[in-house]
Amino acid sequence: MRLTKKRKQSIALLLFAFPALAFYAVFMLAPAFGGAAYSLTDWNGLNPAFSWVGFANYAEALTDDPSFARSLAFTAKFVVFMVVLQNVIALALAALVESRGRSKAWFRTIFFMPNMLSMIIGGFMWLFILTKVTSYLVERARLTFLDRSWIGDPDYSFYSILVVSLWGGVGYLMVIYIASLQGVPKTLKEAAAIDGASAWQTFRSVTLPMIYPALTIGVFLTLNSSFKTFDAVYALTGGGPGRATQVVAMNIYEEAFSFNSRYGYASAKAMILFLIVVVITLVQLRIMKNREVEA
Amino acid sequence: MSRIPAESRRTRAPEEPGGIRPGPQGATREIERPASLISRSGGGRLGRRAASALAFAVLVAAALFTLFPIYMGVLNSLKTEGEMLNDILAFPSKLQFANYADAFEKIDFWRSLKNTVVVAVVGLAGIILFASMAGYKMSRTPGKLSGFLFGAFVLSMLIPFHSIMITLVKISKDLAVQGSTAGLGFIYIGLGVSMAIFLYHGFVKSIPRELDEAAVADGCGELRLFFVVVFPLLLPVTATIAILNLLWMWNDFLLPLLMLTDSDDYTLLLSTNMLFGEYNNDWSAILASLVLAMLPVIALYLLLQKFIVNGIADGAIKS
Repeated sequence: MRLTKKRKQSIALLLFAFPALAFYAVFMLAPAFGGAAYSLTDWNGLNPAFSWVGFANYAEALTDDPSFARSLAFTAKFVVFMVVLQNVIALALAALVESRGRSKAWFRTIFFMPNMLSMIIGGFMWLFILTKVTSYLVERARLTFLDRSWIGDPDYSFYSILVVSLWGGVGYLMVIYIASLQGVPKTLKEAAAIDGASAWQTFRSVTLPMIYPALTIGVFLTLNSSFKTFDAVYALTGGGPGRATQVVAMNIYEEAFSFNSRYGYASAKAMILFLIVVVITLVQLRIMKNREVEA
Repeated sequence: MSRIPAESRRTRAPEEPGGIRPGPQGATREIERPASLISRSGGGRLGRRAASALAFAVLVAAALFTLFPIYMGVLNSLKTEGEMLNDILAFPSKLQFANYADAFEKIDFWRSLKNTVVVAVVGLAGIILFASMAGYKMSRTPGKLSGFLFGAFVLSMLIPFHSIMITLVKISKDLAVQGSTAGLGFIYIGLGVSMAIFLYHGFVKSIPRELDEAAVADGCGELRLFFVVVFPLLLPVTATIAILNLLWMWNDFLLPLLMLTDSDDYTLLLSTNMLFGEYNNDWSAILASLVLAMLPVIALYLLLQKFIVNGIADGAIKS
């Protein structure tokens, strides 16, 4: 009797989960495992026949592909800047917005707005600012510090990409930080103030430890999204000039769909990206979780 | 990750009673004032006012910076090319809607909008229906099978899209879902159910089991129990999931770029991108098309603002 009940339960479970599982298996699991398998082949989009090549693709990507190495370095630099700046700015904005009275809602609405837009749209709008508006300001308003090739010169277009990505992403983290700041009990801050702590000291030793879990999320989300960044770069520079501002996602995309359709080789690069993201985010979670417990 | 919601809820708890009962909060406010006078003797109040003014100034500057590109886009989309070149910052002498008529045609606005809506509706319907069923049942059924399924769904949340896209294109070609808007919706179901299941799974725990048992005792079948009794109770989390996924699908660029090969099927973003590629110096038309593509999202945002912001914060914190 009990066994049949259990079996009945299992069947019901499978029936309920089946539609989701079917779509998930076809469009998520199969490509994930397929990609891992294809990364070990010389599969090429133009030729249906392919053979196993072991880890040759990985070896080539890591040792003999300057453009991939460059895109990795460019992405790594971008990720570092994003993780620091996006979280610092978001936290600062959250604290400032929280300190406001009636204007709070207005500021929150405005800062969050870019997050609603695709970075393709935002990127094109910024392209207008960075090419047309800046050159106008240089000419007419003599703001000579703006006289740079913000898109054409890779030294500067890195910062263009960074600013546009921050513009699009800060609001999201700010909302998370606001929610967590609201969770810090007022009585704690008051107690610190009575003990003579300055605003900075209160923030450092009372607020910060209390919002540490949100910080873990913020850093995790930034790591995750900035490693995969594509849209902003696509809209602003298209990876150029040449391949100077190419991020990893774009390098993979080009390898597979633009240049030579080396699907197997591009899959190996995609696996490398996956491993990097997983390892770094897991390490980050482990470290920050441990500190959470201490704090 | 699963520990985070519990913690954040716990830290938020102390504030809630204060909000309901005015008494204690009023009392703490009174303590606050003398405390600040003690800590900053002398010009304490003045210093505080200056700090507050500074904070306000910083916020206003940041807000202007945030709005600047959108403002410039809208402003210049309403000017003639000549006016734009003459003074990019000035107001138009006369509002030029001709740019919009031009952009409307060039991005084939109604068709692009329809395509975007088809993708989003198919995707959203599938994600909500299938994920709620799966999430509910997995949450209610104990045992290894259930745990294994849940793990299989949730694990993939770490996989970057770029790591699966190449094989996904091949599979979609083989199954003939490539090149159709409904097909793109199907793909979104496959990619989106994980997170939705995760959120439903957590939410179902807050619905008392007794409810299921009572309905079963009344002779209600499993499917009817779910759709008639349970599903309506999932509304808050369904709303969060709908918002998160709608925004994702509406703003996603790379997957449609890979899947929609015929310009008749282009979504708003793809049409705008195509316009940009074809007329990349005709900024009047480009800006007008950007504003058009942006309009539905901004309208939705201003209407449902509070709801959207909370939904997104909630979704992020829980997953």
